[in-house]
Amino acid sequence: MSKFLAVVKREYIQRVRAKMFIVTTVLLPVVMSLFGIVPVVILNIDAGSPMRVAVIDQTGKMYQHLNEALVSEESEQQNANTGRMGRSRPFGNFILEPIDPNQSPERIRTELEQRLHSRSLDGYVLIPPDFLEHGQAEFFNRNPGDVLSTRMLESALNRAVREQRLIDARVDTRTREELFKPVDLQAVKVGATGQERDSGGSFALVFGIGFVMYLSILMYGQVILGAVIEEKETRIAEILFSSVKPFPLMMGKLVGVSLVALTQITIWGLAFSTFALYGVNLLASRGIGTSLPRIPFSHYVYFGLFFLLGYFIYATIYALVGSMVTTAQEGGQLAMPIILILVVSFYLFFPVSRSPDSTFSFWVSMIPFSAPVAMLVRIVTQTPPFWQIALSLLIGFGSVLVIMWIASRVYRVGMLMYGKRASIPEAWRWARQA
Amino acid sequence: MAANDITVKLDGVSKSFGEFTAVKHLSLGVRAGRVFGLLGPNGAGKTTTIRMIVNITAPDSGSIHVFGQKIDSQIQDRIGYLPEERGLYRRMRIVDQLRFFAELKNVRGKMVEQKIDEWLARVKLSEWKNKRSMELSKGMQQKIQFVTSVIHDPDLLILDEPFSGLDPINVELLKEVVLDLKRAGKTIIFSTHQMEVAEKICDDICLLNRSQKVLEGSLREIKRSFGRNSVAVRCEGGDGVLDDPALVSKLVRHADEAQALLAEGADAQVLLKRLIASGAVIGKFEMVEPSLNDIFITKVTESA
Repeated sequence: MSKFLAVVKREYIQRVRAKMFIVTTVLLPVVMSLFGIVPVVILNIDAGSPMRVAVIDQTGKMYQHLNEALVSEESEQQNANTGRMGRSRPFGNFILEPIDPNQSPERIRTELEQRLHSRSLDGYVLIPPDFLEHGQAEFFNRNPGDVLSTRMLESALNRAVREQRLIDARVDTRTREELFKPVDLQAVKVGATGQERDSGGSFALVFGIGFVMYLSILMYGQVILGAVIEEKETRIAEILFSSVKPFPLMMGKLVGVSLVALTQITIWGLAFSTFALYGVNLLASRGIGTSLPRIPFSHYVYFGLFFLLGYFIYATIYALVGSMVTTAQEGGQLAMPIILILVVSFYLFFPVSRSPDSTFSFWVSMIPFSAPVAMLVRIVTQTPPFWQIALSLLIGFGSVLVIMWIASRVYRVGMLMYGKRASIPEAWRWARQA
Repeated sequence: MAANDITVKLDGVSKSFGEFTAVKHLSLGVRAGRVFGLLGPNGAGKTTTIRMIVNITAPDSGSIHVFGQKIDSQIQDRIGYLPEERGLYRRMRIVDQLRFFAELKNVRGKMVEQKIDEWLARVKLSEWKNKRSMELSKGMQQKIQFVTSVIHDPDLLILDEPFSGLDPINVELLKEVVLDLKRAGKTIIFSTHQMEVAEKICDDICLLNRSQKVLEGSLREIKRSFGRNSVAVRCEGGDGVLDDPALVSKLVRHADEAQALLAEGADAQVLLKRLIASGAVIGKFEMVEPSLNDIFITKVTESA
């Protein structure tokens, strides 16, 4: 046991002390917050002055509708943004200017083109007389790359056309308003305790946990692989084996590296929470209430346990691969299928969430590789009986030990054989005598 | 020989890897407080034998006793092992590595820090204590590797080719260290195929060839039993005489002298007379014991 702890300590301290670790641990939250802040700042800068657009309405009916549509479009956009980000993004403001369509088209053109050149105008829209039938208009501007403004105009024109067509079909104002009233679909969970409102929060959490699991495996799988190979590459393995048995050595490496991973994830998690909390406060200060999804405490425990299970089950596979190969490059190639399994089991999220009680869902929540995501989805949708959760955890962590046990045998046989692959009876005999 | 004088005892030990037999029915005893040379050409089974002694691998048959007991992890902690395949953690500071290796032998605390300083001073690397091993030269790393095998003050020290790749000054330094350890009552198993080195520090030897023991005993007795049938000669001319198979069965020329193994029934005096008669100018003519190298070559070719 004390030798196992010595290995854990070495792996942990050596890695946490490394410059790389410190730099990435500090840098990621900084970069993350930059990614959060910079786009907002940039979009705010871009807002600048509103866009001056002249409208040549040859139908004679569209200008008024277009103007109204643009105003409501803008206010909706702003609502959506404040809802999501807690910031207003006053981009895409338009100032419309009607042009008398009864002048000769050439004169209008030359005049408008001149104004475009002198920058007293940003663009003009030509709405042809048959617009209501064919729905084709043109937007002339200096900067066709400004997709945002074009889309906004397009959407406003859409609205305006719909409005006019309804008027033409003699639909009265009230009916028109009724027709455009938006819907709000709320997902309501039916649980043992009756109905409770759950706006997808726990789903998002499960998805988040799956994602963090996936990321930590991507980042730390290779580290574990490297840690297992380290003694082979530096030729320390034989010295170690005269002092410590392979199993505590392998477990020590796995646990040591995993503690490093957890340290980093915890630091990032704290940074992220601080950032999120800041955002929530900002929203609250603008009068927008946000609340964390109501989740029973037991679920948090399950989140933790299944996250650990997911992490360890994949980490052990990396350790197993490491025990079989002699160089990190070899290991990298062999590790590719692991990522594939990981991705596949991640996508099981969707079928399981659709029918969490099916036989299929039961089995994938028992298989260690898919259990973490599948079982969590089941827990937040239709919590399965406790024995199923316990069994899934038992199978999972049991598999971790078994895989590590196999890995340590393979490692040892590999070292003694100088790369020769051991037959199963040989490996079995070694296994028994340790 | 009393049983408690024997530190390591092998009885009829065999080990094979698939088709390949690495060690075949090997019995030997390593006496306490002596330097035991485990000698043999490459692939003779030395490393496999050692691995069985340190409990890295188990014999297929036969028994191994260390300090009078079957090996277990407690006994393992009393052994220091420097394998032929060895290295250091590249990015780890020297002091941390040594502490780690001591911890793996269940030795920790203040005593370790003191031991680390003592040993670093002994191998003249004190100022490298806080450097990473990748900053050290190869020779320095080898000395640190040696220290990792003795840092926990083992009663049995097993060294597999400890001097390979070292410069003569450092070989001398480590040789002194090994002899000091012997004087302090430690038992040392020394495995090598470099006979000149073994000759200088071993008390007892065991010669392995093709996974079997061909010779075992005290070095002195072995040499005596081979008799003084070699002559060290330094002379100018007289080549025809030295090449006469009736007198000399084998001639090994070194830079300025030659070693002649006398043929069966040949007399050294006759050889000397013939040399003088041939007009050779003789600088040296000395009856010598056969070198371990000669014995080794003779025995290995005999058993082949």
